Amino acid sequence: MKARIVASADVLKIVDLLRARGYEVVAPFCGRGRDSYFDTVTDENRPRVRIHLPNPYYPPKRFVFPHIERLMAVRAQNGDLKMEPTYDERPRAIFGIRSCDVAGLWHLDRFYLGRDFRDIYYEKRRKNLFLVNVVCTDPARDIGEDCFCLCADTGPAARDHFDLQLMDLGGGEFMAVAGTAAGEGLFAEPIFHKGTAAHLERRHAILDAVRKRFKTITSWFSATVRYVSQGTIPDKTWEEIGNRCLECGGCTYVCPACTCFTVSDRQVGPGEVERVRIWDSCALSGFTRMAGGFNPRRAVHDRRNRRFFRKLAYYFIQRELDMACVGCGRCAAVCHGDIGMPSVVEMIRRAEPEPAKK
Amino acid sequence: MNPPDTENIYLPKLAVLDRVVDDIPEVKTFYWRFEDPAAQAAFQHFRPGQFAQISLFGVGEFPASLPPSPTEKETFFTIRQVGSCTAALHELKPGRKFAVRGPYGNGFPMENYQGMNLVFVAGGIGLIPLRSCIVYALEHRAKYGRIQVFYGAKSPGELMYLSDLRAWEKSAGMECHLTVDRAGNSWRGHVGVVGSLFKKPGVEVPVDNTIAFVCGPPVMFRFVIKDLLALGFQETRIVSTLERYMKCGVGKCGHCCIGVAYICVDGPVFTYEQIKKLGEDI
Amino acid sequence: METAGNRIVGAYPSMSHPANQGKICVRGWHVHEVASSPDRLTSPLLRHNGHFQPVSWDEALGFVASRLGQIRDQYGPDTVAFLDSPRCSNEEAYLLQKLARTLIGTNNVDHGAGVYGNNSVNVLLDMIGVPASTNSIGELARSAVIIVDGVDLGRQLPTIGGWVIRARLNGARLIVIDSRRHRVAENADIFLQIKPGSESLLYGALAKVIVDRGLMDLPFVKARCEGCEAFLAGVQDYDLLQAAEGCGVPASLIEAAGLAYGRAPSAAILYSTGIEARDEDSIRGLINLALLTGNLGKEGAGVFPLAEHNNLQGVCDMGMLPDRLPGYQAVTDSKARAALEAVWRAKVPAQPGVGAETLFEAGGRKPLKALWLGRYDPVSTAFFGAPDQVLDRCELVVVQHLFMTDTTDYADVVLPTTAFGEERVTYTSTERRIQIAERVIAPPSGPMPAWEQLTRLARALGAQWNYQSSAEVMQEIGEVIPFYSGASHDNLTRDYGRQWPCTTDRPLGTAMLFADGELERPFKFVPLARPARPFGNPEDFPFTLVFGRSLYYWHQNALIRHSETLKREYRLLLLDYPEGFVEINPDDARRLDIRDGGRIRLTTPSGSLVSTARVTSEVRTGTAFVPYFVRQLKPELLGAMGQSRSLVPVRVEKEGA
Repeated sequence: MKARIVASADVLKIVDLLRARGYEVVAPFCGRGRDSYFDTVTDENRPRVRIHLPNPYYPPKRFVFPHIERLMAVRAQNGDLKMEPTYDERPRAIFGIRSCDVAGLWHLDRFYLGRDFRDIYYEKRRKNLFLVNVVCTDPARDIGEDCFCLCADTGPAARDHFDLQLMDLGGGEFMAVAGTAAGEGLFAEPIFHKGTAAHLERRHAILDAVRKRFKTITSWFSATVRYVSQGTIPDKTWEEIGNRCLECGGCTYVCPACTCFTVSDRQVGPGEVERVRIWDSCALSGFTRMAGGFNPRRAVHDRRNRRFFRKLAYYFIQRELDMACVGCGRCAAVCHGDIGMPSVVEMIRRAEPEPAKK
Repeated sequence: MNPPDTENIYLPKLAVLDRVVDDIPEVKTFYWRFEDPAAQAAFQHFRPGQFAQISLFGVGEFPASLPPSPTEKETFFTIRQVGSCTAALHELKPGRKFAVRGPYGNGFPMENYQGMNLVFVAGGIGLIPLRSCIVYALEHRAKYGRIQVFYGAKSPGELMYLSDLRAWEKSAGMECHLTVDRAGNSWRGHVGVVGSLFKKPGVEVPVDNTIAFVCGPPVMFRFVIKDLLALGFQETRIVSTLERYMKCGVGKCGHCCIGVAYICVDGPVFTYEQIKKLGEDI
Repeated sequence: METAGNRIVGAYPSMSHPANQGKICVRGWHVHEVASSPDRLTSPLLRHNGHFQPVSWDEALGFVASRLGQIRDQYGPDTVAFLDSPRCSNEEAYLLQKLARTLIGTNNVDHGAGVYGNNSVNVLLDMIGVPASTNSIGELARSAVIIVDGVDLGRQLPTIGGWVIRARLNGARLIVIDSRRHRVAENADIFLQIKPGSESLLYGALAKVIVDRGLMDLPFVKARCEGCEAFLAGVQDYDLLQAAEGCGVPASLIEAAGLAYGRAPSAAILYSTGIEARDEDSIRGLINLALLTGNLGKEGAGVFPLAEHNNLQGVCDMGMLPDRLPGYQAVTDSKARAALEAVWRAKVPAQPGVGAETLFEAGGRKPLKALWLGRYDPVSTAFFGAPDQVLDRCELVVVQHLFMTDTTDYADVVLPTTAFGEERVTYTSTERRIQIAERVIAPPSGPMPAWEQLTRLARALGAQWNYQSSAEVMQEIGEVIPFYSGASHDNLTRDYGRQWPCTTDRPLGTAMLFADGELERPFKFVPLARPARPFGNPEDFPFTLVFGRSLYYWHQNALIRHSETLKREYRLLLLDYPEGFVEINPDDARRLDIRDGGRIRLTTPSGSLVSTARVTSEVRTGTAFVPYFVRQLKPELLGAMGQSRSLVPVRVEKEGA
């Protein structure tokens, strides 16, 4: 791998380098308490960009798959209809995206750009996106209580799918790893120096230490994937899970690997309509309701069942080459009834499996 | 078979409504064409069993089966009014414009069935998607063996595509058996559920080297499957088209996913064997 | 709020907020859609010849001022009324009641949920002196026992429902009292699925268990309460077995619940003051229990009158009550009036006004000539009286709102307000937390903050109101309401708001009430009424018809209607049952051969009606539940019985072939 060393004092200059190259840079900032959020870097807030802070809960998937996105405007003129798709092709850089979220974006890439059709809106945003991944090294500040990237094998250091990766080596130095040619292109800048084998050793040592700091390193996922794929989870378990679900949709909105949306037409002026797409959630009852009233997933536990099937069943892992869970822990953080992925995996593992359903 | 990789999969093309013909109550057939003749020509290569997305801007978009055979001259949809989008279409006057995207879905692989007998079993508006296959098969009559149509509705007034039905009843190259749940006054034909037609005197349903096409409401579907399996059909020789709430039609929005399949791209046509393996009850 | 340019394009929770810790309900996840909805009103509207014309603010407010003045002078101040929504900000609620009282001279002020919730205010003031939750939401994590009485937290207050579920997962014992088996009830350790209307009986029996088993907190009762002897005498009239029969639950469960609550080191009781009306006796019953066991003034304990609207607590604090001034002093208290008059430099009327329920009575006590509705849509949401008829007879109806609503059909003037995120105002949550809502985008051109509209209207009416900002309004609120005296905008922005009392010598606010042992006045037991004969139905009418108000409320809400996903979700029931529905239990349905979606006939002593059945296991056997928006059921069924009863004996049958 192509790696360089950059002084801690210089590492935030990467933000400036990217801005100078014409990118709109979003970076993490601290809010009140443990809050953090990504925001566009301006001259005014530039001094407040942070590297070590809790991972923002509003997921960075929104930079390629926004919460609300206009697909097209349609104007009626003299009996004719004029359709104008609207795209966002602005070059954008996400500075400080975590490894779990990098895996999430890769999952979205495979979903929106692979399969049967390519999603042009996603593609245009994604094509111009430069990712600066920051490795979680500080257990106190970077790693949250709900994090489990180790179980999902997405962290703490992403192996791929970033343009540049930064890792705090301590002692006033960061290691920068290039994942793409675009990332490597930055190495020409004077702030980057060549490293030594000693730097590499420090990297390995820190990663080892960080891994040990995660609550539990388990292989529960593999067993869970098996049970989910074979359909051997007792109905009672899904009912228990359903009883704790308050149908808020939060888990799907914050999940870096969730992709569902609804499309809606809205009047925005006389003779003008916009078609927008908005994040949608399979947690909600109306998600599958058909005109005429038939609703195949009316009961809440059927919807819970569906969520975890989609996330963990082997069939989808094969198609997407990865689980639809990156171990970020956001679902656990926003869940009222404590039925985020870690808790559900535990419940599934603890339940007595039933004979495989045909 | 999917449409060629268009630049923007969500952008429909403008279409013009030519004329509207009433069918059974609440159901109308809308004859239309793309404004751009090139788009129309490309669209004409659709397969029986595929569907398209109809846009009524300002109201929304919804999926609709393609009932014409790709060999027919005119393209049309047959739509029942159930919600706000279909209601808006029902109010559209000939000459007005709307928009269409498609064709989408896998469709029925009619080429694979060449040399086989075709048995079509439809209930109510389930005849809409199967009509495409039936007309296609009749247009390529020599390529198929026996062709039988079994169709039932709740009452005589709810039998769809009446002129087609009458023609099929009279046609020498096929059999068409009709039934209704409730006869009313002037019905002289068979009375009973669709499956009961299999036992009608004089009816012999071929099983070997035969494909059974089934489409209809969930209850009818369950019973007809039972009947067909009892007759000896293999699960791989029964095909159906499934329906779900759809928004994008291109496998992205997630609404139509059943178990491991996205109905809009992996379906809507599945064999019964595939349906059983989806991983979720339908 | 996530903004892009001048549009709000996303919303997400704060992880550190003490009340929700990042967990919000489905409505919260979509709050950003309201501000950006294309249906926003963009200009004041004045009705000319039956049609609305856009006019300038000056013209609209000038017209309203002159008409209000005319009507006040011609017909008298009491023919004018001002009603707020419990969603209005503190600043606008405060100015509205001030305008009503000082410039029109009437105490006819109320908020839309008043008919349901104001009795809770009265009972709380009477018994514990404070009409609000005594503890904080976050303390539920440390409760040993939690009682959830008569509120479907999962649907109405999911964030609090989450606290309760998680508390239980961590070892708290959960007791749910409700005739409906709702989501949180599925998680209960003890579920008392009582017959509707038997709450008082239950609380009497629970008190008896606690007293008989020696679980009273005697030191607490002695030191801090009065009226215990009379109360204990009344408790003796209750009998566990009779109560079990009257409530329709096993006696062993009642006993277990009483023991659990009585033995708990700290136990909390949650009930709702939302649109689900509770009778005063049942509220007294649960407060008596808290006093009996010393569950006030310690962590994890307390009484939570939950507010189902974002500012129900606040608008009451601000005095949008016909019989109370800001800060809850009685209107009839001459000293309180004098103190207020000194600050306002204007007279305050001494006669209590009438509330929304009386105002909307079909044959009104005193005819109403002018009505101001602040974000309130009674035609859609008021489940009492005949608001449409009353509005029709008014000579002036002014509506402030974000969108056109069913009520604006009756309006003469419509004034567009700013949305959440477009103005800097405060709201007070159910745990007394006064919070600032920041302005994150400029409003579209046209709408004006409601507090600013009222300021300009007051000037048009001749008053010298000079508020230059909502912060100045808040400053005056601090001068008038003692427990808000430290709650300046400045102070409120520092943390996550402040819980009142937030005074100048206590600027960080008060998380838990009654902690210091210092009391302004003792807590008061209120003796129980003699146990009502168990709610027995006449033989011919074996079912109990319950009119459910808060459940399914959200359908009609104007904000929900302008959010795509919420509209879909909350409309599901309306789409599945377009003519409304009556809910019955599956066992009853089976017995009566009624299927879901089938026609069902309800017959009361006064009348009969046919509707559609919705079969759900949530409903108790022997109960038929009618959602409030099926309003035509009420007069047809109740007929001469009038509208005050919320429980009606009824016969349920399958209708037709």
